[in-house]
Amino acid sequence: MDLLTQIAGSVFSLGSVAAMLGASLLGVLIGALPGLNPVMAIALLLPLTYSMEPLIALGMVAGIYNGSMYGGAIPAILMRIPGTPAAIATTFDGFPMTQRGEAARALKIACWSSAIGGTASALALMTMGPLLARATLHFGPAEYFWIAMFGMASIGVLVGDDALKGLMAAVLGLLLGTVGLDNLSGIPRYTFGEPWLLGGLDLVVILVGLYALPPVIALAEQADLKGLSAAALKLGRARLGWAEIRGLIPTWLRSSFIGIGVGILPGAGGNIAAFLSYSAAKSASPDPDSFGKGNPQGVAAAECGNNADNAASMIPALALGIPGNVVAALVLGALLIHGLQPGPQLFHQNPALVGGFMAQMLITSLLILLVGGAAATRVFAQVQRLPGVLMVPMILVLMAVGVYVINGRVVDLWVMFAAGLAGYVLEKLAFPLAPVVLGLILGPMAEQSVRRALLISRGDATELLTRPISAVIAVATLALILWPILRAWQRRRHGAKAP
Amino acid sequence: MKTLMLGAAALVLGTTVAQADYPERPIEITVPAPAGGGTDTSARMLATLLEGELGTSIAILNAAGGGGSVGVTQFMQARNDGYSLLATWNSPITTVPQMQPTAYAPDSFVPVASTSQTAYTLCVAPAFPAETGEEFLAELAANPGRYTYGNDGIGGTMQLAAERIFQARGIETIAVPFGGAGETLQNFLGGHVDIYGGSISPVLPYAQSGEAKCLIVTSAAAVPALPQASGLEALGLGDKETLLWRMVLAPAGTDQAIVDRLIAALETTVNSPQYTEFLAGVGEVPNVVTGPALGERLQGEFDALAEVAQSLGLAQ
Amino acid sequence: MTARGQDMILGLLFAGLGLAAAWQATGYRGASGTYPQVLGLSLAGLGLLLALKSLWRGARVPRPLVDHPGRVAVTVAIGAGYLALVPVLGFYAASALVAVVLPVALGFRRPLYTLLAAAGFMAVVWLVFTGLLAKPLPTGFWSGW
Repeated sequence: MDLLTQIAGSVFSLGSVAAMLGASLLGVLIGALPGLNPVMAIALLLPLTYSMEPLIALGMVAGIYNGSMYGGAIPAILMRIPGTPAAIATTFDGFPMTQRGEAARALKIACWSSAIGGTASALALMTMGPLLARATLHFGPAEYFWIAMFGMASIGVLVGDDALKGLMAAVLGLLLGTVGLDNLSGIPRYTFGEPWLLGGLDLVVILVGLYALPPVIALAEQADLKGLSAAALKLGRARLGWAEIRGLIPTWLRSSFIGIGVGILPGAGGNIAAFLSYSAAKSASPDPDSFGKGNPQGVAAAECGNNADNAASMIPALALGIPGNVVAALVLGALLIHGLQPGPQLFHQNPALVGGFMAQMLITSLLILLVGGAAATRVFAQVQRLPGVLMVPMILVLMAVGVYVINGRVVDLWVMFAAGLAGYVLEKLAFPLAPVVLGLILGPMAEQSVRRALLISRGDATELLTRPISAVIAVATLALILWPILRAWQRRRHGAKAP
Repeated sequence: MKTLMLGAAALVLGTTVAQADYPERPIEITVPAPAGGGTDTSARMLATLLEGELGTSIAILNAAGGGGSVGVTQFMQARNDGYSLLATWNSPITTVPQMQPTAYAPDSFVPVASTSQTAYTLCVAPAFPAETGEEFLAELAANPGRYTYGNDGIGGTMQLAAERIFQARGIETIAVPFGGAGETLQNFLGGHVDIYGGSISPVLPYAQSGEAKCLIVTSAAAVPALPQASGLEALGLGDKETLLWRMVLAPAGTDQAIVDRLIAALETTVNSPQYTEFLAGVGEVPNVVTGPALGERLQGEFDALAEVAQSLGLAQ
Repeated sequence: MTARGQDMILGLLFAGLGLAAAWQATGYRGASGTYPQVLGLSLAGLGLLLALKSLWRGARVPRPLVDHPGRVAVTVAIGAGYLALVPVLGFYAASALVAVVLPVALGFRRPLYTLLAAAGFMAVVWLVFTGLLAKPLPTGFWSGW
């Protein structure tokens, strides 16, 4: 009890509350600007807090992290530009909703879903942190390989109408994922002697080009000189009715579960969580064909999934001292600078601090409702009222600055531009882009894990299947591949019976 | 071509400006490692303290990838006006060029100062049949090809550090490269690899709690934080010492007056109580080698590691 | 061009890309080479399959690549010009220029509105990236001054 009051006292201190509130706002802004990401913002701002209380620094991390994960959905919904890589899946249904004039509703759903996913994740962190952290240790290279395979299998759900093109897109993504220095042999692949390619193709650079440039060109083609009126945006009256909320609850539960599961595994990020949540929602839907055409469930699944990844990704960092992603690594770095040693004893030695940070993750998740709703609909959506032709160069400038600041390289601008032009043409040819991205994300994970697993098993491939967790994920992967086929077959049979 | 000419013009302009008032605008430090890692954290801590010492703000630019070579290569284009510095660990300078073609060599920079150093360690699970460094090496030698050890990446300094020891004793093990010490630790704790190979600080809490038995450090002397681990001197392998150390470098042609100013500032900062306390927390010790002596240290390490890379068949 | 023709070209293009990738990968040692080789050959196979499938039963319906070729050409050309100017003029000068020029090129004839919007937008970008985040952006030849 004493501990609880102590935690409450420090979390609700003026500094901590100000840090959480300010950082949440900033996080939404950072997430909404393509190219800017929470890692960059946290890395830049953390040093400023070195001289302050640790909980002010951590409250800031929590706010930026949770806020930006939602912020990424804003341009994803309004302009089909994923503000962060984790918001790609949000574009699938969010942008079609905007085209239908339901931007405000989509934003509201994204806001609620983000808050709910984040809250569920923070609760998991608070209640089961150390337990879940221990569970992740059972995941070795073989298990990681199957998780990547499971993710790849969800491509079946994402390919669209032409399975052949979908497969080609996936293989293209996998191939692009091999560019750069091979971590396991030190051999540079497809780098053509260019040092900037050694680090591989930067995911964000490719994403911004692939997803943002085609809608910009489309906007230029329409050459809209007037802009939307406030009435056409329908911003005012976007209330979520109880019926709608009830319909979303199963999706929220499923996506929270998936997001937490992906989050606790070091190395698997919010983008994977969002993809898996999206494909799970589509598989479970009675009307899977409506996905990708503006189904609110798609927005809810993706946004809930990527926010549920956040707090969970802190579990291995706080409980084991193993950073699962860069944000977690930054948090550990900040703890070190404050003289705290990360590791299994952190929970016991500094319960007030760890508990306080967990509470901050929870509070900032709820703050999304306050900050996100207001900021998104009142400020960002107003941009839509500008004439389209004015938006074209502005989005171009934002893309350029966002891409440039990632690595500080001019050549990335051209990579982005080339990816964008390719994306524009490929989309016109009904070539799906999502599998390319998924291949780019999961390819390196799959290749490296399987090669590590084979090193450990001395080349014995059966060990990929004989380990219990591997076997379970392998079976689930198979089920995921067979499920749509089975359903299509069943539907055809039913269709044949009907007159 | 045009950019080249403009760059050259800017270069000439930059060097003619008087150095007396240095620094009069913000300094940018390139860190060739991802945000949040050991190199990044120590550079950021150093930067905050240096800001006070130099009276200017310092921005950190992370340029990760290629084992650090991406960021260092990018830094080769930096202007030598004293406002662009590189904070790196030794691997991108002395190890990576053995394996990959790089646009730089150890002498492509003006050595400013080294800041801190630490050793790598090899740890095993409590049940492993060895209690000392000597027993550990004997067990490995008796079972060639039986044990797997996780390391920071193929051809990384950590792997070379371990292989130098293994080669000296004719030991054969299976190297499993991971993305970094955190990933190695996870796989070691989960029992997926037999031996943890990596920096000391991530594994330290587990060594203290008894979940990991750290039996060797790659420095000549033993490390107080890991009492069970033998230093290489005690194993008769003192000349096989490989350290993890960090330094600040400047672009070639940087004015000597600026370098001297930086050396003075770094000496004060690194030895300040705040920084030494921070280093102790991550299992590192301050170590300031400056100017030409630092250049010699880089070249010496480069030559020693070239030998190992050659014999491992890793050299380009 | 018809969808059939486009898909045939696309298929052959990817087949070529796949083969080139696989051929390039033969130079990589061990498992580092096997994986991209398999991927390259798969891509080549899938590409050929797509080309054949389109030849067999591709829809002979026209499928325009661009809705408005003129505007696409203008946008792509000015966009490329902008990226080329960033390292020369510096980020802010080049960005301000493109924010004014591109709307005019696309037929927007309200100069005051354009200028005000561009100025406001650039101010916001400057505040966020230079003011708040202090990110170094290309300065171009101004930095010599």
